[in-house]
Amino acid sequence: MTPMDRRRFLKVTAITGTSAALASCGHPENQIIRFVPEEELTPGIAVWKPSVCPLCSAGCGVIARVMDGDAEVFRNGQPGVTRMGLARKLEGDPAHAVSQGRLCVRGQAALQVTYHPDRLTTPLKRTGERGSGAFQEVSWDEAIGELVSRIDALVGGGQAGAIAFLGRPRRGRRQALVAEFLRALGAPAPVSFALFDDGVARHANELSFGRYQLPTLDLARARYVMGFGADFLGTWNSPVAQNVAYGRMRQGQPGVRAKFVQVEPRVSQTGASADEWVAIRPGTEGIVALGLAHVIMREGLRPAAAAGRAGGLVDGWASGLPAFTPQEVEQRTGVKAARLERLAREFAAHGPSVAVIGGAALAHANGVVQALAVNALNALVGSVDAPGGIAFTPTEAPPARPARSLRDLLGASPQLLLLDDANPVFATPAAARVAEALRSIPFIASFGCFVDETSALADLILPDHSFLESWTESSPESGAMEAVSVTAPPAMRPLYATRAMPDVLLEVSRRLSRPLDPPLPWQTFEELLQAPPAAAPAAPTRPASAAPVGWADAQFDGDAATYPFHLLPYASQALLDGSLAHLPWLQELPDPMTTAMWSSWVEINPHTAGQLGIAQGDMVEVSSAHGAVRAPAVISPGIGPDAVAMPVGQGHETFTRYASGRGANPIRVLAPVEEPATGTLAWSATRVKLAKVSGPDGSLVLFAGATRERPDHHGRG
Amino acid sequence: MAHRWGMVVDLDRCTGCEACVTACHAENNIPTVGAAEAARGRAMHWIRVERYWEGEFPEARLTFRPVLCQQCDNAPCEAVCPTYASHQTDEGLNAQVYNRCIGTRYCANACMYNVRFFNFFHPQWEKPLQLQLNPDVSLRESGVMEKCTFCVQRIRAAKLEARAEARELVDGALQPACAQACPAGALVFGDLNDPESRVARLSESPRGTRLLEEYGAEPKITYLQRQGWHEPDIQ
Amino acid sequence: MNRTSNNPLADDLVRPLFHTSVWFYGSVTVLASIVLCGAAAWGYQLWYGIGVAGINWPVFWGFYLTNFVFWIGISHAGTLISAILRLVNARWRRPVTRCAEVITVFALMIGAMFPVIHLGRPWLAFWLAPYPSAREIWPNFRSPLAWDFFAINTYLTGSLLFLLLPMIPDFALVRDRSTGLRKRIYGLLALGWQGTTKQWHRLEAGMQIMAIAIIPVAVSVHTIVSFDFSMATVPMWHSTIFGPYFVAGAIFSGIAALIIAMAALRRLLHLEAYLHPVHFENLGKLLLLMSLLWGYFVFAERLTVWYGNEHSEMAVFWATQRGEYAPLYWTMVICNFVIPLPILALRQLRTVAGTVVASFAVLIGMWLERFLIVVPSLARKPLSYTWGEYTPQPVEIILMVATFAAMILLYMLFSKFVPIISIWEMKVGNQPHPPVVTETEDELAGLWKARP
Repeated sequence: MTPMDRRRFLKVTAITGTSAALASCGHPENQIIRFVPEEELTPGIAVWKPSVCPLCSAGCGVIARVMDGDAEVFRNGQPGVTRMGLARKLEGDPAHAVSQGRLCVRGQAALQVTYHPDRLTTPLKRTGERGSGAFQEVSWDEAIGELVSRIDALVGGGQAGAIAFLGRPRRGRRQALVAEFLRALGAPAPVSFALFDDGVARHANELSFGRYQLPTLDLARARYVMGFGADFLGTWNSPVAQNVAYGRMRQGQPGVRAKFVQVEPRVSQTGASADEWVAIRPGTEGIVALGLAHVIMREGLRPAAAAGRAGGLVDGWASGLPAFTPQEVEQRTGVKAARLERLAREFAAHGPSVAVIGGAALAHANGVVQALAVNALNALVGSVDAPGGIAFTPTEAPPARPARSLRDLLGASPQLLLLDDANPVFATPAAARVAEALRSIPFIASFGCFVDETSALADLILPDHSFLESWTESSPESGAMEAVSVTAPPAMRPLYATRAMPDVLLEVSRRLSRPLDPPLPWQTFEELLQAPPAAAPAAPTRPASAAPVGWADAQFDGDAATYPFHLLPYASQALLDGSLAHLPWLQELPDPMTTAMWSSWVEINPHTAGQLGIAQGDMVEVSSAHGAVRAPAVISPGIGPDAVAMPVGQGHETFTRYASGRGANPIRVLAPVEEPATGTLAWSATRVKLAKVSGPDGSLVLFAGATRERPDHHGRG
Repeated sequence: MAHRWGMVVDLDRCTGCEACVTACHAENNIPTVGAAEAARGRAMHWIRVERYWEGEFPEARLTFRPVLCQQCDNAPCEAVCPTYASHQTDEGLNAQVYNRCIGTRYCANACMYNVRFFNFFHPQWEKPLQLQLNPDVSLRESGVMEKCTFCVQRIRAAKLEARAEARELVDGALQPACAQACPAGALVFGDLNDPESRVARLSESPRGTRLLEEYGAEPKITYLQRQGWHEPDIQ
Repeated sequence: MNRTSNNPLADDLVRPLFHTSVWFYGSVTVLASIVLCGAAAWGYQLWYGIGVAGINWPVFWGFYLTNFVFWIGISHAGTLISAILRLVNARWRRPVTRCAEVITVFALMIGAMFPVIHLGRPWLAFWLAPYPSAREIWPNFRSPLAWDFFAINTYLTGSLLFLLLPMIPDFALVRDRSTGLRKRIYGLLALGWQGTTKQWHRLEAGMQIMAIAIIPVAVSVHTIVSFDFSMATVPMWHSTIFGPYFVAGAIFSGIAALIIAMAALRRLLHLEAYLHPVHFENLGKLLLLMSLLWGYFVFAERLTVWYGNEHSEMAVFWATQRGEYAPLYWTMVICNFVIPLPILALRQLRTVAGTVVASFAVLIGMWLERFLIVVPSLARKPLSYTWGEYTPQPVEIILMVATFAAMILLYMLFSKFVPIISIWEMKVGNQPHPPVVTETEDELAGLWKARP
């Protein structure tokens, strides 16, 4: 029994008083239990509380506008109503160096995570078949007891190594706690998984600059920006900070308007803002970069020595990249030689200039060498650690090179999996057979707030608080010139019987039959956060590789005769990698390029569509050697005739009422091609064929009418 | 001197990120209508980012243009409303009095910008999504027209606060949700009657144009056109 | 007083009031069911919200407003034509006027329902009326919808008076022929009519005043309905031609409705002796005139838009001319021009059957014309990002069908309670069987005199 303190006494009296009053009404199911408010609030007066947006790894500081309101809550296992502080709106935190008072579209929608109607409210235990979604509610005591007994059994049997942890890429003390817990248990290090995890970019930056980190772009002071497939104004790296800097680059430098050139096979939302779009063949971004470097060196626009280590990593650099003459580049990329020479001269002459690569450009088997080429180009024009160039945020805790990958984890046949908000079943190719591997794990415990494709396989769900109800922290790896570190208390009290995952781990550690060695010294996560941080790790600079890397062409799965088109999946502006598909605001957000809402689609060049008899809205089948998906066609002049593009994000089988059974997931049909150095999925490396299946089935929901401002006489847009 | 609220949209800064769109939804309690209704043309976005393609591959280009209520001085929506639900306030806002609206939808037809949205059904917030609602903004019922208000609730709150502190409003401190969210700083809001305000100075820019100016509605939103890049002389 | 039962003319014309066939009851049941379906559809819409209709962003007006304009147009048949014919003293008008005036009243009632049905919150429709409210808010007199409110109400009141005035002697006649409750009801309606010279003088004077007054009202009503569109700067709405164009279209569809109504009465109430082919021939000529006038307006409207080449108007122009609305557009042209023109121009085809065929075509064509005015312009407003489309929903179609049923039902019921042909006017004409050939020339002359 819980001891009866004053607060609990008041609650109980309130409950019984209300029950007594309502019992006379004769409708016991209509009873409303009103709890005593837990905090003092001035009605109608907003309080702003800091927090951190959890939806991507940029780590934007936010402030939540908290006002009082009546909420249906769970208290002590009892549903009822209480008056409490509720977050009503999120804004960027003006004091945060990354968000600078601004917030992106996804950050604005993060509010709905907390109030989602399908959010899990109590611990659940699987009752039906795995993946059937049949769960029953259990108490926290029972749920933690179950997990403890499972861990005890494994540890007691000397199988602590068969305990695995899979989460989203996170940094900070929450992740440190997880690592510490596993280490004390004798289990292998935690594994993080995300579809767009930027491992290739970090790896290349480590080689080139000794920093395993994403760069911070000083666009605000740049006068010439060359993007290589990086959707830095949409979804890549630190979009808010990059948009802020971009705005200053455009109109914030008196008397100067910078030029922005985007090199990519499909116009991304970022490319749409470019002054010049350079259409290329997929996977040839690095060739363009090296071609530019060739011209710059050949014409003596910058001394080759300026490239330093980054240049030296590219084979043939010292001799001026003889294999990358403009003519050669034209042949391999489709960029006209004269245009390349012009761009090279502009790039060298109108500094500070900066080149950016990321996202789709690195999702190739040759991703590392592509990134190395762009890094070398940056070094060549002296834009590394220079105003208007790229820099690395001096963060206390830079990202660590992952010790294990998802494949390592699954390959080790774990007996118990702790799952923290990662959804590899959705975000891996079907051919990688991740779901099957997960099903063979005897026990899975999930900490996620929602049932998605992966947590649907769990045996036990221990739902975490939403971020607004939790302690949050951020020390972004990029987006600011100075180190940023934020720890924020919960912005509001929890609505439901959820518990913070670190607290659950700490409780598990206390209840284990064999105490951890060494024991975790904290009772709660809050205590951990208030403890002085451990000594800062050693300087992040590592010796960079010295051996030059030769150019390697991108390799594609599927032969060009059978599968004539490159499939270019891309991160959806609204739904990102699909982890945000459950938020109705984002589902109903018109895609910036196509204006589609609640939909999946396939972008097809008008010429290709004409040849295949495909019209806007027609259902088409996109098939690779590994599977097929169907989605409506969107005819777009922003993609070449040799490629089709699909947004990632829809196609969830199980992910709340708003996302389940909606659209198609292109990731499922990808070939499991990996970038060899990092083991990350090369998600742009699959070739597909295309066939019209039927006319429009109504699943393409567009907000806009025409696509052109002055459509032709037939009303065609 | 009375305020005259206006906005400048810098198309050279806008990246089409649509942070403004969701910010507006969150601030103004705009309902989401769901896929089926959205497919029937009932989606509501008080601010939208229009995009237009130009040219063909590989020379295709895309332009973005955020469009919200232009808060016209000579607003066509106001004249046609038989019940004065749509009317001009003394601070130059095109106010929409939801309680006065009987739903003729004439205002929406008269508006050449199509920035007025109609509640075809009672808006629904599936529990507990209603907890996200902004208590400062009234909910609209079925059959009522709604539109961008320049976040009038924020204007009122800021004026009250300034009056309580016996000071003038500070330019830039008061922003509608879209402008506050806009990462690229493409949306600038302020008092056009204050010659020192950023919005007043920017609206004098040579890049400034008005949307569909030829209709004579005298919109209070100035669009700063995208600037081309011209190779500067290298010294 | 010679209103005895041995008057064959009165016998003929009063007969429907006293003898009712099974067919009548059957038809009334069917029609009333359809009307009830319409009422249920409206109830459904009230319950769930106007969203059950197909209107959307940006096509905020659809079938309801189409039907509104269509029925207001139909209403022009009656009163206007009857008033003109009275003023030019066309003698062939006598059996026609009341059929026509009734159309006006009922079509107006039906038409005026649609703006209310179409409202988002119809229970607040009374806010259009100027009444002293506690908040001292009046309707916005700058709004064409407020003008509509007054115009339609004025026209309805005027048309009702215009219809009721000449009915007084006939009510008296029915009163004198009936007994019991019926006698008392018709006695009330007859307003104490005794047929004195003074009463006849007053009736004539009243009729004359009404006939003169109602013409400008009728013209203004449809002009104001056209202002609902032309006052808004919507592509192809904002046109100076809309006033006369709408009035011409209204008279056009009104005559067509009148021809159909007369043909039906003639057939069903066996009034062949009173509604003679010459009436159809004469009305057919009027219809021909209106068809030509309509064609002229469409040509003038289309040519100026095309020649002006203003891009947002051209978007609507091409959408109707050869875009997604082209099938409807060309059907309209065929129905309003290509079909009626030869039928009505050739004397051999200008028969009762011929004019009825032409009239049906015109009704379809004019309905399409209203639709093509309302919808394509909204679907193609200046910012092409906001272009949209419109698909009518079942509730709109049911309500539309129900109003057609309501019109027929009201007409049938009316013909059961009031002599549909003005008995006293026929008597004044003193020619139960109007001469066929000789009068035509007189009538034509009368018509020409009516030209401004």
